[in-house]
Amino acid sequence: MPEATIVRQVMKTIVTGEHREGVCENCKTLLIKEFYMDGERKRVRLVCPKCGGMGRLIAKTYSVQPPTPPRCLRVKCLFQFFKDTLFCALLSGYHSKRVAYAEQNRHKEILERYRTGEPSPETMWQAIHANIKLKCPICRKYNKDPLLFRR
Amino acid sequence: MAQTQTWTDTGIAELILLLREEAATGMESIVALEMATPCTAVVGSTFADPADTAIHHTDSGLLLAAIDTVGGATVNTAGDTITFDHIFTATGTKNVAGIHVCNNSDDVSFIECCFNAVLAMENTDTLTIDGQSTINQA
Repeated sequence: MPEATIVRQVMKTIVTGEHREGVCENCKTLLIKEFYMDGERKRVRLVCPKCGGMGRLIAKTYSVQPPTPPRCLRVKCLFQFFKDTLFCALLSGYHSKRVAYAEQNRHKEILERYRTGEPSPETMWQAIHANIKLKCPICRKYNKDPLLFRR
Repeated sequence: MAQTQTWTDTGIAELILLLREEAATGMESIVALEMATPCTAVVGSTFADPADTAIHHTDSGLLLAAIDTVGGATVNTAGDTITFDHIFTATGTKNVAGIHVCNNSDDVSFIECCFNAVLAMENTDTLTIDGQSTINQA
């Protein structure tokens, strides 16, 4: 394939930040750091020394990866890249607005999906719906999709 | 603004120095970035000059510290990934726009990460960082 290009994503980095309150959700005790093994990976977490609980989640960031560059110059490849880029932009916009919304409403009851970021939109259509829903206060309150009138 | 994360040019140069067994140190420290609005990670950022107008936090539990855990993992080929976890505990009200992952000499930033939005930390709030970086050959 003469028009094919080799694409190398040499270093792929994924980072997430989880913002929580530092006191236990259940008994309001100050949390302590605990090291534990997750398979072969040594990890760290904050747990309540009294009840083993965690702090209330305020917001969790989401690592959006850029689209893979086109592997050829055919219309099909370029169109796929265009679709991936558009989806990436919609997904980025959604998670930026979601985290900002969760931070602004840290003391209020909001839908858990806006704190955890899960489920995250997986298609362009889902991303469009999620963005519209996040902008609509009534849809957020009643957890309804503004286009489909369901959850 | 999307969350952006990248290896910096100076971080790659430090990695090459490590491979050449010249004066360089490995991934050891982490620091939170302070900025009122979301930043954008760029490869040209350095330890002394982070992205946009961000600066390193120097107090309130978000300052430069040894990373809690650094380990290895496998994603595509054996041992191709470095993993790191860290917990910041804020001791005051501060904004966190992102993080820098630095070397042991605290003069080179390997990775710069700018979050989706600014995290408004209050006293005793915690920020758990879960990171992994994979060298991908394909």
